[in-house]
Amino acid sequence: MRFLFSTSIFWLLGMLSTFAAEEHGGHEALPLNAQRLHESLPITNSIIMVWIAVAVIVLFCKMATKKMALVPAGLQNFAEWAIESLYDFLTGLMGKHLGQRTFWFFGSIFFFILVSNYLGLIPFVGTLTYGGTPILRGANADINMTAAMASSFALLWFYWALTENNLKGFLAHIFAPKGSFKGLMLVMMIPIFLFVGVLEMVSIAIRPVALTFRLFGNIYGGEQTMESLMNLIPKGLQLYLSWLPALPFYFMELLVGFVQALVFTLLCAIFLKLICDHGEEEHH
Amino acid sequence: MITLLATAAENPGVLENIQKTFGLNMPFFIAQVVNFILVIVILKKFAFGPVQAILEERRNRIAEGENKLQQIEKQLAEAEKTTAEAIAKANQEAVRLINEAMHGATTLSEQSAQEALAQAKQIISKAEAAAKADRDRLSLELKREFGRLVAATTTQVTGKILTSDDQKRINEAALTSVES
Repeated sequence: MRFLFSTSIFWLLGMLSTFAAEEHGGHEALPLNAQRLHESLPITNSIIMVWIAVAVIVLFCKMATKKMALVPAGLQNFAEWAIESLYDFLTGLMGKHLGQRTFWFFGSIFFFILVSNYLGLIPFVGTLTYGGTPILRGANADINMTAAMASSFALLWFYWALTENNLKGFLAHIFAPKGSFKGLMLVMMIPIFLFVGVLEMVSIAIRPVALTFRLFGNIYGGEQTMESLMNLIPKGLQLYLSWLPALPFYFMELLVGFVQALVFTLLCAIFLKLICDHGEEEHH
Repeated sequence: MITLLATAAENPGVLENIQKTFGLNMPFFIAQVVNFILVIVILKKFAFGPVQAILEERRNRIAEGENKLQQIEKQLAEAEKTTAEAIAKANQEAVRLINEAMHGATTLSEQSAQEALAQAKQIISKAEAAAKADRDRLSLELKREFGRLVAATTTQVTGKILTSDDQKRINEAALTSVES
């Protein structure tokens, strides 16, 4: 009975989604860039999704923290489990001090990407159009959003790296020879490590770009795949069956949504850990 | 990626092309930065703040509970140790008292026995003395009676009235022969 009910729901939602696409003209491929909803409005369809994501997060947080109790139940229990799991994971990775200091950022990044990715999978997102433009678009399928997160992290990375190491330590981390070289060996190693430092700076410069395009590419690719799969069904049957080829990919996208949120957060955390790592000093 | 960036750096047109292709737009980028900051503020205020505060409170309570438990365990161990010591001390005291009682009882018993023995000896010696006195008295009475009988018999046989010396002599001779 439950199987029949859930299958019917899927079918109905898929059909509604397709119907919306057909009704308003539809589109063959998802455009690479987010689109303005109206020429007079400086708002894109992905910004609307970000606002919806913010609203969902606010609503959930308000509901979960409405009646905080020492013995948690319901949504509070779930919220505590989610936040504590991520907190333990990040402090395990970066150490307690750094984890505590930066959790507000990494926690926000993870939950925001996760919620945005999952909201992008809801039927009507990308298919419901206004004047031929989709009203909603996955927030992370817009490069401006992923670039905003990556560049925010890049700035914070510099701030945290400088405050944790100070300027001398920060530069030493990048350019100074690693290991215990002495005498002639040290002299020989200095130019090598200077060159390595330059490479490291290039790597640091590339990180936000890589973070931006990785998340954008995965989410946009997923949405594009679903769009293409829905278009595999012949025109006459699209209204009833176009949801079918995309259905297995919905489950994969659920996984991708979580994995991408985790990858983005994890990479940011590792980048920060690498620059703030005091190596042997920490053991003392 | 490096090639892409290098090409973009060499040729500004490439960067513009990337921006145009992917829709990288400064106003929208700033709008998304603002949105992202909004997300961070909201999550920090409404989610991480309260949840982490309650987690911290719970963590403190658990730590406090653990400390109390350790204190209770320590107190319990101390109480058990004190009790064991008190029991051991009481046992030692009891053993000492028992030993003392046994020793006292033995001493008392010996004293009583000795007293009884002394009393018995005293009784025996008194009895012996009384018996000896009785015997002496009876012997004396018997001697007297025997002497009187001998004297009476001699007087009757000889018809002679005996003097004191005669009676004494006859009595001594008779007694000597009887005693031998």
